Amino acid sequence: MTSAATSAKRIDDNNSKNDRTNREGLRGWLNPIIYGWERVSYWFQRLTGIFLLVYFIGHVYETSSLVSGPDAWAAMLELTQTIGGHLFLILVIGASTLHTVNGIRLIFTQSGQGLGKPGRPDYPYDPTSVNNKQRSGLWIAFILAAVAMLYGANVLFSGE
Amino acid sequence: MTSDSIKNNRNKNKNLTKWFSNIPFLRESQIMKIHYITGVGALFVVAIHIMMRLIMPFNMSLEFENVILNYKNIFYALLLESILILIAIHGFNGLRVILIEIRQTQIWERAVNILVIVAMIGIIAYGTRTIIIANGFSLG
Repeated sequence: MTSAATSAKRIDDNNSKNDRTNREGLRGWLNPIIYGWERVSYWFQRLTGIFLLVYFIGHVYETSSLVSGPDAWAAMLELTQTIGGHLFLILVIGASTLHTVNGIRLIFTQSGQGLGKPGRPDYPYDPTSVNNKQRSGLWIAFILAAVAMLYGANVLFSGE
Repeated sequence: MTSDSIKNNRNKNKNLTKWFSNIPFLRESQIMKIHYITGVGALFVVAIHIMMRLIMPFNMSLEFENVILNYKNIFYALLLESILILIAIHGFNGLRVILIEIRQTQIWERAVNILVIVAMIGIIAYGTRTIIIANGFSLG
């Protein structure tokens, strides 16, 4: 095979790879192993977002029972007045705190804050954007979510 | 190719881009600005919404009479409406971003756009109905 034919075959191979067949899809989206904490933050932001959207829809439906009178409201409220209901609400509190704090970090990041100065790519090619400022933002989000969940658990289980 | 045919092709492409773009009247950067603004806005109004549940013992604040009293306060009703709108826009745009990240074809993107806009309008209409009925159309 001539070198021209070889390179043409290589281009063909690359094109077929780029033809959406080499995409990992959801598996790639959820894989935290090779991308580090930034990928964990990426999918936590998305998973908590989807979870909160589902909760929001459920909450709008739940509160609509108000218009059917006190009995319908009490019946709907009973669902959340169980241990399972309380645990679910604690998860909602944790998810909303994590989503909020990490979201604020992302707003700063996307406006160019806390990314470090761009520099020459030297070995071992650690990107300056993936730095301690970014990571500490993520840890603060986890810590605040845990604190909010503890506070929520105290309010829900003590009823005060 | 003549300059006229180049121009015609360019116009044709422009129309196609407009027709198949995510949301024809907004750039993606503008949509993301709206996403951030609604997110920060929701943070404040939801904080007030939660604090209203904590000004008295939590279980008592959820009693029917107390909740209806909240809804009958026009300022609180407006707060609930703003929460509804801000979170619906933020949440469904977030869902749109996720779905478009998963797959990129023109049909998929158009279907996702239509789905999220319809869902957004649907949930805002349904929530607004609750607020209006519970408020009892009164301003007192």
